[in-house]
Amino acid sequence: MPHSADKRGSFTRLEARLRLRRPHQQLQRSNLQERARSPGIQDLHNQRARPEKGSKIKTFHIYRWNPDEPTQKPRMQSYTLDLNKTGPMMLDALIRIKNEVDPTLTFRRSCREGICGSCAMNIDGINTLACLCRIPTDTKKASRIYPLPHTYVVKDLVPDLTQFYKQYRSIKPYLQRSTPPPDGREYRQSKAERKKLDGLYECILCACCSTSCPSYWWNSEEYLGPAVLLQSYRWIADSRDEKKAERKDALNNSMSLYRCHTILNCSRTCPKGLNPALAIAEIKKSMAFT
Amino acid sequence: MASVIRPTLLRQAFAAPSKRVLSTSTIASSAFKSSTLSSRRPLQSALAQDALPKSARIAAFHGTGSRMILPPLPQRIQGTVNDPASVPDPTPAHGSYHWTFERIVAAGLVPLTIAPFAAGSLNPLTDATLCALVLIHSHIGFESIIIDYVPTHRMPGVRKLFMWGLKLATLLVGVGLYEFETNDVGVTEAVKRIWKA
Amino acid sequence: MFALRNTMRGGAARAVFRSPVAQVAPRRTAATQNMPENAARDILVKQRLNRPVSPHLGIYRPQITWYGSALNRITASILSGGFYIFGFSYLIAPLFGWDLSSQRLAKSFGSLPKPVKVGTKMLLAFPFTYHSLNGVRHLAWDLGYGFSNKAVMQTGWATVAASVASSLGLAFV
Repeated sequence: MPHSADKRGSFTRLEARLRLRRPHQQLQRSNLQERARSPGIQDLHNQRARPEKGSKIKTFHIYRWNPDEPTQKPRMQSYTLDLNKTGPMMLDALIRIKNEVDPTLTFRRSCREGICGSCAMNIDGINTLACLCRIPTDTKKASRIYPLPHTYVVKDLVPDLTQFYKQYRSIKPYLQRSTPPPDGREYRQSKAERKKLDGLYECILCACCSTSCPSYWWNSEEYLGPAVLLQSYRWIADSRDEKKAERKDALNNSMSLYRCHTILNCSRTCPKGLNPALAIAEIKKSMAFT
Repeated sequence: MASVIRPTLLRQAFAAPSKRVLSTSTIASSAFKSSTLSSRRPLQSALAQDALPKSARIAAFHGTGSRMILPPLPQRIQGTVNDPASVPDPTPAHGSYHWTFERIVAAGLVPLTIAPFAAGSLNPLTDATLCALVLIHSHIGFESIIIDYVPTHRMPGVRKLFMWGLKLATLLVGVGLYEFETNDVGVTEAVKRIWKA
Repeated sequence: MFALRNTMRGGAARAVFRSPVAQVAPRRTAATQNMPENAARDILVKQRLNRPVSPHLGIYRPQITWYGSALNRITASILSGGFYIFGFSYLIAPLFGWDLSSQRLAKSFGSLPKPVKVGTKMLLAFPFTYHSLNGVRHLAWDLGYGFSNKAVMQTGWATVAASVASSLGLAFV
């Protein structure tokens, strides 16, 4: 063995790591002899295998399910990373795990700055975007990462949002008008009218709020959920839209809107700081005597 | 150099196509495959921070969140991905009117709940009003629970049974409370007497 | 050029594959197959049937928002359930010869030992105070007030505290 177990850190962990390494190392050495490899990688290997002083090892428990093995039940898999060598956000940790530990780990990500909504997942019990969620620096506590709650899982952390998007489509998320603009050019709004859309237009449809709502967990087939209702209100509140009555009619039944029981998980979890519960309350208020 | 290699590589790839019909995974000649695999492995083992033994790293999933009574059905989607979800016909009686009525009842309960604490007791008419509003409020609440937990699309029969059962129960309880109100001292006074007994 | 290609055929080609260039820029090709739209959809439909539902109740972080809401419904069920049971029992009492008059009930409740009385009162008073106070909170929300996260948390915990205190007060009356 090239490494001797030195006396810092926990012994069992270290030994376990070295034991785990052994087959790889042998394999690698034979590869190295066979082929002319750049010496840089070997250096890197020797350097990294030794545990370093002050390393912050954090454990991540991650939900795994593989559609290629449909008979296997979902399980939790643990990974450990040194936080000193990982970026500050959960998405950095996930990407690092995928790149360096387990390439089979599957998750969605795109913009890494909280504008695309792809990396929405349940981290340490609350729904948020992995790219906006800092890794808690407390290394004694493991982090648990699940897909968005009560969604059908495509693979690992990837939920199927088909129903969510179909519901979004059903509220006709576009400007509906039958009269031409008065000046023949554009639909004008006053500053006050435009201001009503603040806090609504910023929604990125990441589905964090909808999948945090217990009411949506039980009735996602019929209840629209906070995100889609906030989007619906975005058009109801728009001064230029001329189909407000139709929009409200579409919500006027026991399921689409009124399964909201003001639980408020939605506003609590929104990674963009929006308030879907307030938007829903405004819809209910505006429909109260119609 | 690379431009020279590419045609050869392509030829190799076409010579050995993947056997999996639907696969979009990469295929390659054996020589190519071994080179990519072996080049990845040392990097992986060098950078991996896997400290736990493999057996400890994989734990069976034991979420307590599974619903034993009504486990979710396998996923079925109506129509294609690009069709909108169906929009129900407007029924204000179960929508906005219902909501407004419920809020009026709830708001009406606020002063009627405070009144007996403030006045010590209620006259028979106010007491009967409180009793009736509590009954309506309870009925709407139970109805809401049934709608939440007994979905129509899944168990239409059970849903109907529960709804009619609730209606019957509310009716019987209403009659019972009428008897109590007319024969006894009234709900608030009765609660007060029992409470202070 | 021709000459070069010829040398690459056969055994020589393997040497080329091991060259750094091939490793730096691996070329991958994917085998795809055209299929009618229906067949593709069938595969998706079959895959969907296998999908598990991700965990929800068991893993979502306990927060005053949804725990408070669940408590609201539980307390409502206790109160309304008791109300319904009493109303129904009073209706059928004559059939079984029960005496459910307030006088009789007060008498039998009064004969219980004090700790049991206080305990029973507590079990009924807490659902009543919590549901009533939380109901006021709900009415405020329905008017559009108190939706900020801070307000929701503060009023939520205040409701819990106030209902515990007031139910203790009622239990010892």
